[in-house]
Amino acid sequence: MSSNDLLPIHTGTVIEDDNLTLEQLCHACGVHADWVISLVEESIIEPQGNEIQRWRFSGISLVRVRSALRLHRDLGVNLAGIALALDLMEELDALREQLKITQRD
Amino acid sequence: MEYKDYYKIMGLSRSATQDEVKRAYRKLARKYHPDVSKERDAEAKFKALGEAYEVLKDPQKKAAYDKLGANWKAGEEFRPPPNWHESFDFEGGDFAGGGAFSDFFEQLFGRAGFQQSTGRATRGAQVQGQDSHAKIYIDLDDSIQGAMRNISLSTPEMDAQGYMQVKRRNLNVKIPKGIKPGQHIRLAGQGDPGSGGGKAGDLLLEIAFNNHRLYRVADSDIYLDLPVTPWEAALGATIQAPTPDGMVDLKIPPNSHQGSKLRLKGRGLPGKTPGDFFVVLQIALPPAHSERAKAIYQKMQQELDFNPRLSLGG
Repeated sequence: MSSNDLLPIHTGTVIEDDNLTLEQLCHACGVHADWVISLVEESIIEPQGNEIQRWRFSGISLVRVRSALRLHRDLGVNLAGIALALDLMEELDALREQLKITQRD
Repeated sequence: MEYKDYYKIMGLSRSATQDEVKRAYRKLARKYHPDVSKERDAEAKFKALGEAYEVLKDPQKKAAYDKLGANWKAGEEFRPPPNWHESFDFEGGDFAGGGAFSDFFEQLFGRAGFQQSTGRATRGAQVQGQDSHAKIYIDLDDSIQGAMRNISLSTPEMDAQGYMQVKRRNLNVKIPKGIKPGQHIRLAGQGDPGSGGGKAGDLLLEIAFNNHRLYRVADSDIYLDLPVTPWEAALGATIQAPTPDGMVDLKIPPNSHQGSKLRLKGRGLPGKTPGDFFVVLQIALPPAHSERAKAIYQKMQQELDFNPRLSLGG
């Protein structure tokens, strides 16, 4: 029995698609609502729901907001540049996946 | 403590101008940015680059660093000159980047004071801790059956003097059945501690899957490349195929072709709406090593009117 066996087991909750509020997303990423709103205006993340109070974000938004933050902070990329970079990076990931499949043998 | 060659890290000569330093930083920052680069050690390289830039972009720090001389080699055992702190005073500096710098940097320029990124933490006020983030890699089986995983986290924490300390801790986390790559698990109260009696933040774990020998996962669907013979594909057959739940009988319809996808509904990752299991046929060609095999190929050549290059104008 290792010492890890003595630790309590944490049962978390899964963040399902489209169930993060604006407030939760801001808190999770440590950013202001204004910044998230500008990301929505640039179509970098796309919430469900029309009014801000009803916006619901997916778990993917978490990843995108944090990537956007780093690109802005570390490389000085502006919003349009962030949108372009994230789209291209996702496309690149998808292509790399495809490449892995075709290069299997 | 190891000497760091900041010029080498940035690929610059010691005579580099401020403009060259800035341009080199911009170029390498794009190359090694952890969001952009797929290199395994990108994060470490990006950090080292940030530290080098922190010194070389600042005329005062650069002058001090240059004074150590050019004869040091990267990785060499290093001690600052005895009267170092009398000639330069960098203590209590305020550095960008947030992350902890190397011992070498701290010996020379003092430790980076920790700045709360949002500026919300004021002494005495009751403030909820930030949510923290980590990415964990699980196996396909962990999602199919549910599992318990021990994860080791290193979290930066502020000590009583306001310095960053890296603390390691272990957590046992339940991996719920049916979790998909890219989803997050929220562990309430396991994030950064609050201050002034405020609640701790949450820990958000992003799920990624380890590569599997047989299967690949996309969203909640599982894919298997299954080799078949030309006659199984052409004539149809019932063959055995592995799935995460064990072997299944699979009916290959006649006239299947290379890359044909067969779907086993609901045999993907479990869940309220379970994913599907897809078998992608890979037609394997028998080698023409023997006379008999050659004869069969020759017979096909004579008997079959088949031109795969028709659409190429061949």
